[in-house]
Amino acid sequence: MNGRQRLLAFLRGEPVDSLPLMPITMMFAADHAGVKYGEYATDYRALVAGQIALADAYDVDYVSCISDPAREAADCGARVAMFDDQPPAIVETDALLADKARLASLEPPDPHTGRRMADRVRAAALFRQQVGDRKLIEGWIEGPCAEAADLRGINTLMLDFFDDPDFVHQLFEFTLQLGMRFARAQVEAGADLVGVGDAAASLVGPEFYQQFVWPYERRLVQALHDMGALVRLHICGNTGAILGGMGQLGCDIVDLDFMVSLADARRVMGPQQVLLGNIDPVRVLRGGTPESIRAAIAQCHRDAGPRYIVGAGCEVPRATAPANLRALTEYARATAP
Amino acid sequence: MPDLHELGEAIKRGDRDTAAALTKAAIETKIPAQEILDAMVGAMDIVGQRFQKNEIFVPEMLIAARAMKEAMGLLEPILVEAGITPVAKAVIGTVEGDLHDIGKNLVAMMWKGANFDVIDLGTNVSPQKFVDAVRTNNAQLVGLSALLTTTMPAIKKTVDAIKGAGLDVTKIVIGGAPVTQEYANEVGADGYAPDAASAVDVARSLL
Ligand code: B1M
Repeated sequence: MNGRQRLLAFLRGEPVDSLPLMPITMMFAADHAGVKYGEYATDYRALVAGQIALADAYDVDYVSCISDPAREAADCGARVAMFDDQPPAIVETDALLADKARLASLEPPDPHTGRRMADRVRAAALFRQQVGDRKLIEGWIEGPCAEAADLRGINTLMLDFFDDPDFVHQLFEFTLQLGMRFARAQVEAGADLVGVGDAAASLVGPEFYQQFVWPYERRLVQALHDMGALVRLHICGNTGAILGGMGQLGCDIVDLDFMVSLADARRVMGPQQVLLGNIDPVRVLRGGTPESIRAAIAQCHRDAGPRYIVGAGCEVPRATAPANLRALTEYARATAP
Repeated sequence: MPDLHELGEAIKRGDRDTAAALTKAAIETKIPAQEILDAMVGAMDIVGQRFQKNEIFVPEMLIAARAMKEAMGLLEPILVEAGITPVAKAVIGTVEGDLHDIGKNLVAMMWKGANFDVIDLGTNVSPQKFVDAVRTNNAQLVGLSALLTTTMPAIKKTVDAIKGAGLDVTKIVIGGAPVTQEYANEVGADGYAPDAASAVDVARSLL
């Protein structure tokens, strides 16, 4: 089976030859390909070449358009700092929606003509041309809560939940529509699966998650399925308190960061939910040895059971030893679900 | 008679208007400033502990801190009049190259809540800027926060810069998700705190 066949079969619940492998690589992929991260994040050709080279070298089952959280915000007009060899960063002290009133006149940018969003859509199209049916192609969008944080400033958004719930709902409605448009463009260009990064959601407790975040994530997941895409949810951080809601979104894959217990997630989400993760990217994957990594990932597999995809809790860190990432490949390829 | 217990409760639930009104009333009825302060500090201690136990989350912690700040703003002149000075002067910031500030903000708020005079330098703060701020403010305490493995070396650089500038009496506390006690020992920091609530205990124990 090639990576695409393996993942598609696995997600349909059909037998596969080995465990699927889906570690998130961004800076590691750029370094592997020898391009500066500034270029990787702004030139789709560099990103596509880097992803394909990495996926081939490590037998990873998919390639991804992911690079940084600032694409949508940048095209909405937010101030974004660009660096030579670091990910672009939104300038939170000068947030686009520091003044809430601006939301009323904000239009979701067109993903085809927007500067940074169009670059990602082109990546999806080029992936389709270049990997064809060998690897699964992943598009990427910010989730409603993360994008709201990107536009409003994450510290301010946290206070808005109390101060102005109506505004939060309006803002999330906007970010939901933005995410759906961006996802549709990537799916039409060739993405099989859409990754939804909703990191800021790990900062709120279960009540706010259910009240504000979940309804929008749920609508997003439904819309992505209606487009014919598979859905992967990735919330960085400790999501221990919101696992119940995450398990009811209907995502095809739920990622878990390292501070969450996979055993807990399995208990809360039931036996069918596909879980992905979750060794500590820094301490275990970068800091460990191939032996310790194999032991840790085997433990994840035991905790998660057969509906499990091999990966780390979050991005594979820069300067991870190749042998360490290869330990994930070896475990995945040598193991049946 | 204004109720200090109610003041504490208002801070805990982040109700800044009530917290401000009760502080004003307490000041007007000449409740000793120290007692008002103790009520506030006690409330923030409990907020920190609840956060530590995952009973409350970042939004709840931030609004409690905001209510505390509002009340403290009213109390400060009275504290000065009464000759009650902050426990210590502290400088805090996120180290160079790092833009994460939520954890640092929580530590800064808990320190303010414990009656430290806190100068917050923000994010992406160079070692030199820390040194300058410590010197200008005569700070007894410095807090360094880092959330990225790639910016942890900036902690060491900053510790070296502060010690190298002859500011050895200043106690340095470090923290942030990738930081550990071992790392603190290795770089010669005086203290490490895993979370905002313990950052207060650690700072108190060092001073
Ligand atoms: C002085 O003494 C002390 C004592 C205790 C101290 C202390 C100081 N400072 C903190 N503490 C302690 O007390 C606090 C309260 O109890 C705690 O503070 P924390 O800060 O740990 O906890 C906060 C209360 C809540 N936690 C947070 O605020 C961090 C949440 C997560 C989701 C996160 C966020 C929100 C962001 N991020 Co970033 N981000 C992640 C985080 C994922 C996660 N695993 O948590 C993390 C930290 N990010 C990461 C990365 C890689 C990045 N981020 C980036 C950007 C961002 C945003 C700007 C989008 C945003 C930050 C916004 C902001 N204003 O802070 C980029 C870097 C930008 C830069 N140069 O800094 C970027 C490089 C992503 C990219 N590829 O673009 C990862 C770091 C991996 C590593 N170990 O190196 C990460 C763990 C995500 C992951 N799972 O990979 C304790 O650590």
